[in-house]
Amino acid sequence: MPDLPELNPVVHGRLRLALLSLLSGVEEAEFTWLRAKTEATDGNLGAQLLKLEEARYVAVQKKFVLRKPQTLYRITETGRAALTEYIQALKQLLGPAI
Amino acid sequence: MQDHNTDRELKERLNLIEHMIAEGRRNTESWGWMFILWGVVYYLAIAWSAWGHGVWAWPITVLIGVVVTGVVASRKTGNQPETTLGRAIGSIWIALGISMFLLFLALGVSGRLTDQHVFVAVISAILGMANGASALILRWKVQFACAVVWWVAAVGTCFGTSVQSLIVFLVAIFLCQIAFGIYGTIAEVQQRKRRGVIHA
Repeated sequence: MPDLPELNPVVHGRLRLALLSLLSGVEEAEFTWLRAKTEATDGNLGAQLLKLEEARYVAVQKKFVLRKPQTLYRITETGRAALTEYIQALKQLLGPAI
Repeated sequence: MQDHNTDRELKERLNLIEHMIAEGRRNTESWGWMFILWGVVYYLAIAWSAWGHGVWAWPITVLIGVVVTGVVASRKTGNQPETTLGRAIGSIWIALGISMFLLFLALGVSGRLTDQHVFVAVISAILGMANGASALILRWKVQFACAVVWWVAAVGTCFGTSVQSLIVFLVAIFLCQIAFGIYGTIAEVQQRKRRGVIHA
């Protein structure tokens, strides 16, 4: 029987997985857009994004637009690779159940 | 039982990924109003030209259309993220706006905007090109049908009388700008209603 792959714990978190998936479809996204899409609280969203940032799965850019602070997030190549590997692992684990 | 629960959790994760990727890529920008606005802009330009100020009618109305589109679009877009697809489609229409403004300004100022048949053929061909490119990128049959209408108008206007040419142009504007814009607005409203709440 072949060895079953382990799921990346950083990606596996529900909110973190949702964030990586969302960011994989766009070039970059504002914090407020991510909050609206996931309906997460500011604190939880910030904490999960920080974990993804620490794992170098997302890159953050802070700037001011018309004197208003704007925080932009984008998925990195490492993050995209981690998400792809996670999906492959999921499919392998589920096998014929998909 | 545990395996069954694990399978269900893993499937749920897979569904979440698919749902979120689709959600991220979904074009949430509303665009139906833009087609209606530009339909009105064309009608105003035609009316103004018929009133006797052909030189400035098109460049000025197109410029006003560009400004209004820019202002309203920037307000509507808000914090929507940019996607590669969105930028590809947007760039087609921005390039179209710039081309039309420069072309009709030059034709108007130089006094060469005299042959109505050529004018309608050129504007219809440009609009056919933009709609066709957008439809091919989006694989959208309804918009491709609009492109076909513009191409037919571009060819048809070369062979009719001035009155027939004007009628062809007015009908094409109605079908491809006003009717298509209303169709788009209704589709956007229906899409918003279908979209459920996401808990992540």
